[in-house]
Amino acid sequence: MKALFFHAEKCIGCKLCHLACTAQNEGEFNPRLARLKITSHYNREGLVVKGQTCDLCLSCVEACPVDAIVEKNGRLSFVEELCTDCALCVDICPNDVIVKKEKGIGVCVQCRSCTNWCPTEALTFEEVSK
Amino acid sequence: MAYTGKVLRVNLSTGKAETEALNDKWAKEYLGGKGLSIKYLYEELEPGIDPLSEKNKLVLMTGPITGTIVPNSGKLAVAAKSPATGTILDCSIGGHFAPQLKYAGYDAVIIEGKSNIPVYLFIDDDRVELRSAADMWGKGAHETEHMISDRLGEVVTMAIGQAGENLLPMSCISTELYRQAGRGGIGAVMGSKNLKAVSVRGSKGLKAPDIRKLSAALNKIKKEDTLTEDNMWAYSDGTPMIVDLSQQTGILPTRNFQEGTFDEFEKVNSEAVKAVTKAKKACFACPLACGKYVETGTTRVEGPEYETIALCSSNCGISDLEAVLEFNRLCDDYCLDTISAGNTIAFAMEMTEKGIHDFGIRFGDVEKFLQMPELMSNKEGVGADLSQGVSYLADKYGGKEFAMQVKKLEIPGYEARGSWSMGLAYGTADRGACHLRAWPAAVEAFGDIDPFTIEGKAELVIDMQNDNSVKFSAIFCDFWALSTERMAEILSLILEREVTAEELTTIGDRVYCLARLFNEREGFTRKDDGLPERIHKDELTTGATKGKLLPKDEYDKMLSEYYKIRGWDEDGKVTADKKAALNL
Repeated sequence: MKALFFHAEKCIGCKLCHLACTAQNEGEFNPRLARLKITSHYNREGLVVKGQTCDLCLSCVEACPVDAIVEKNGRLSFVEELCTDCALCVDICPNDVIVKKEKGIGVCVQCRSCTNWCPTEALTFEEVSK
Repeated sequence: MAYTGKVLRVNLSTGKAETEALNDKWAKEYLGGKGLSIKYLYEELEPGIDPLSEKNKLVLMTGPITGTIVPNSGKLAVAAKSPATGTILDCSIGGHFAPQLKYAGYDAVIIEGKSNIPVYLFIDDDRVELRSAADMWGKGAHETEHMISDRLGEVVTMAIGQAGENLLPMSCISTELYRQAGRGGIGAVMGSKNLKAVSVRGSKGLKAPDIRKLSAALNKIKKEDTLTEDNMWAYSDGTPMIVDLSQQTGILPTRNFQEGTFDEFEKVNSEAVKAVTKAKKACFACPLACGKYVETGTTRVEGPEYETIALCSSNCGISDLEAVLEFNRLCDDYCLDTISAGNTIAFAMEMTEKGIHDFGIRFGDVEKFLQMPELMSNKEGVGADLSQGVSYLADKYGGKEFAMQVKKLEIPGYEARGSWSMGLAYGTADRGACHLRAWPAAVEAFGDIDPFTIEGKAELVIDMQNDNSVKFSAIFCDFWALSTERMAEILSLILEREVTAEELTTIGDRVYCLARLFNEREGFTRKDDGLPERIHKDELTTGATKGKLLPKDEYDKMLSEYYKIRGWDEDGKVTADKKAALNL
């Protein structure tokens, strides 16, 4: 099973991954709706680069009371018709990468737009070792 | 997607914030960024106003590609009448402010009037607030940004430091600590309005009809045309790469432009900077990451840029990289433009060494050098004089012939005696001596074109100025060396209509001529397009430019040719025919 991995030492903080994700999955350029969270900013101590991505822990699948998030062949999908907007998955996601939308949620569906756009290979798809 | 169609107008005198429709006709004629901000200022500012009065306006302008996935589209134009020069002034600032403004729902913010207490402006989508900055006033831009982040969480902030509060004509605006709207005293415009910072957070997306297809097309362009050898120097080295080029070609300003080479250049060149670089950092949507985050035992900073090295290292005779890095950090925090600051300190060093006036600082004096950002920003001791720039110092104490400025803006890091087209670029730059309106050194001193002839230089400079005017209006970062045709291709995708390279060249010409008209209205003519006497009279003495000058008569010929090709008269005024041709 493959999942998205983040390599902080390679990240330049350009947010192209956020843009690519939302263009593909939301039909708009809107970094806030991206199904990953990559930040690179300066605090008082210096440069802080952080990345949160879906590692297919499947907490959301287990938590969803109506089976609106499904894992099949190592990929998540979301069934909007079943969703009751309880947002339990959003709360439970340990990486905080499920996006609550006006109606329903967004999960990483491994579309690979982010890895395809990342100019420095800071994002990669790799085998999950469990 | 290209435009939100909304302008936010904030009046600091009344505390009112209102939105209005973007002027569509102007957006078509001037695109955005540089061009559109100049158009608004040209139409709205009374001629002859004091740039530090409440009559000046500060325009923050995005462009049609801002907030999209177009590579290198993260920049913002910041414009006003310049406190340093009295000309039009537009700066370009990187980081992540511009896209957030667009996501908040605005193409531009126009800030008017003057607050009677220190405030910062917070834009959170439709919510616009002026908040007290009383506890930030007197602090550097860095701590100001941190304090605002502590309060507001994830926002992007542009702030001024003490130099802006104290209205220095060389004060800049900082964002994300180390990115600046640098030149012409733009920070003092904020300071004069009691505006300490502007913070923004946006949540509205930009929609496009077939966004997946658009993204795929742009990704192809990114791979074929952005991540190429022509541009990857920005990623591998950043601008410090230019140090070796300038040294080899004898155009590295050294000891207040007395020489064009610096014996100790290897202590401050790209290799030296790389040795202390910890990470690379990009602006929004930029795959090139020219920012180099540097940490040493004593300091940390994103930088230094080539301009900082040229003006603050070689030009001040300082070869201690740690000192240059710390000076860079201090300038970013106080919000001093490193070009003007370095140039001014170098002038004071030469004045002292020549015994014309004793500023108490000499070439290579690291200890005094490092005291200058604080003294200048707070106008303390010798810093009070130095804070006003070289033109002021020369008027007061002499040395005018080697006060290295044009229109009172200090000259950046390329010696015009070794790159004659750079001389013309400085002389005809709309905001005073600037290397960003045109950078012909790239193809002349660093390229195949003979630097020591005026042949073809007027046309070269005009082409570059027009092209850069489009770039800074769209707004593309100028570190992407993309062709006009490529800009047209991308803008066609974004604007969803056919845009041609010819149309863009006309827009570039229009923008440049409008800037000239603004300056003309302020009384600027040919007499203001001259260079300092040193460039015409003092031969360089070392390296590839040994024995070189840019003779005055040759410069004058080049300037006349420039005016003629531009469609300006012999006095540098835009002719009626030219105005008609450009719909000005």
